[in-house]
Amino acid sequence: MLLVIGGIASGKRTYVRSLGYDDDRISQTVDSPAPVLLGLEEILRDGPLSSQDLARLRAKEVVVCCEVGMGVVPMDREQRAWRERVGRTCALLANDASQVVRLVCGIPVTLKTSEVGI
Amino acid sequence: MIALVTGGSNSGKSAFAEDLACSLGPQRTYVATMAPSAQAQARIERHRRHRAGKSFTTYECLGGIAPQLLDSTNDDVVLLDDLGNLVANALFNVHGNMEDPTRVTHRLDTELLQLCGGHRHVVVVYDQAGSDGIDASDQTLAWLTTCGTLACRMAARAKVVVEVTCGVPCVLKGVLP
Repeated sequence: MLLVIGGIASGKRTYVRSLGYDDDRISQTVDSPAPVLLGLEEILRDGPLSSQDLARLRAKEVVVCCEVGMGVVPMDREQRAWRERVGRTCALLANDASQVVRLVCGIPVTLKTSEVGI
Repeated sequence: MIALVTGGSNSGKSAFAEDLACSLGPQRTYVATMAPSAQAQARIERHRRHRAGKSFTTYECLGGIAPQLLDSTNDDVVLLDDLGNLVANALFNVHGNMEDPTRVTHRLDTELLQLCGGHRHVVVVYDQAGSDGIDASDQTLAWLTTCGTLACRMAARAKVVVEVTCGVPCVLKGVLP
C-alpha cells in the first residue's frame, strides 16, 4: 500500500491521478471497491474504524490522508480525539505501507520506500 | 531561475530566500506584501533591517503584483515575500469581505507567470499552512486552498524548491546554484 499525506491543497489528489488512478477509481468511502481511498481524515470524524473497515483500508492500493497534527492541539475534546485518531491510524498504516509519500507544494517527498511494489 | 522557498512560520525562509536572491545577481527587486498595521510594523522593520545594505528596490504589492513589475523585462532578481500575504490581501478587502477565490487564484497565477516570464530570477517565499487539523472557517479554508494551489503551480514551474526548517534548507526539487 501507498500512503499519501500532506496539508490542505498540497497536491495529494493530483499526485494520485499522476500515478494513473482516474477519478472513478478514487473513492471517499471505505467500503467502495475502488483501489484508492481519499480523505481518511473525514472517515475518522465520527470515531475509530471497526476492525472490518481497518482490514478494508489495509487492502487498498492507495490511502490518502490530510495531515492534521502539525499545529496547536485544540482545547475541544472532540477535536483532540479526532486528531489523535487520524495520527494513530496514519502511523498504523505507515507501518504496513510499502511506501509513504508526503506532498509539499505538489512535490512528492518519499518518507518510506521499499523494494516491493505498491 | 525560478525558486520557491517554503517552510513553517518563523523557520528562516526569508533570510534564506534573501541570501539566495543576493547570490543570483546584483540588481534586486523586493516585492513587499505585508499590509502595515501596528502588529505588522515590528515584523516589517525586522525584514527591512535584514534587507538593509543588500540594495533591494522595494515595491509595495498589496493584493497584486505592481503593474510596473509585470510590464518590465530585465535581468533583475525579484524576491516575493510572501505568497500568503499576497493572497490574503487579494482575497479579503479592507472591510473583511471575501473576493471569489477561483478568480483570485486565476488572477494571481497569471501575474506570477508574467513576473516569472519578465525577470531573469524570481524567488517566491511560501509559508506552509493547512496541516494543523483546525476546522477552519470558510474564509480561512479559501485562503489555505488559494495559497496551496498557487504554491503547487509555482513549484511546478520552479527550477528549485527548498523547504527551510530551523534555518536549514532541504532541497525538494532541483539543485541550488
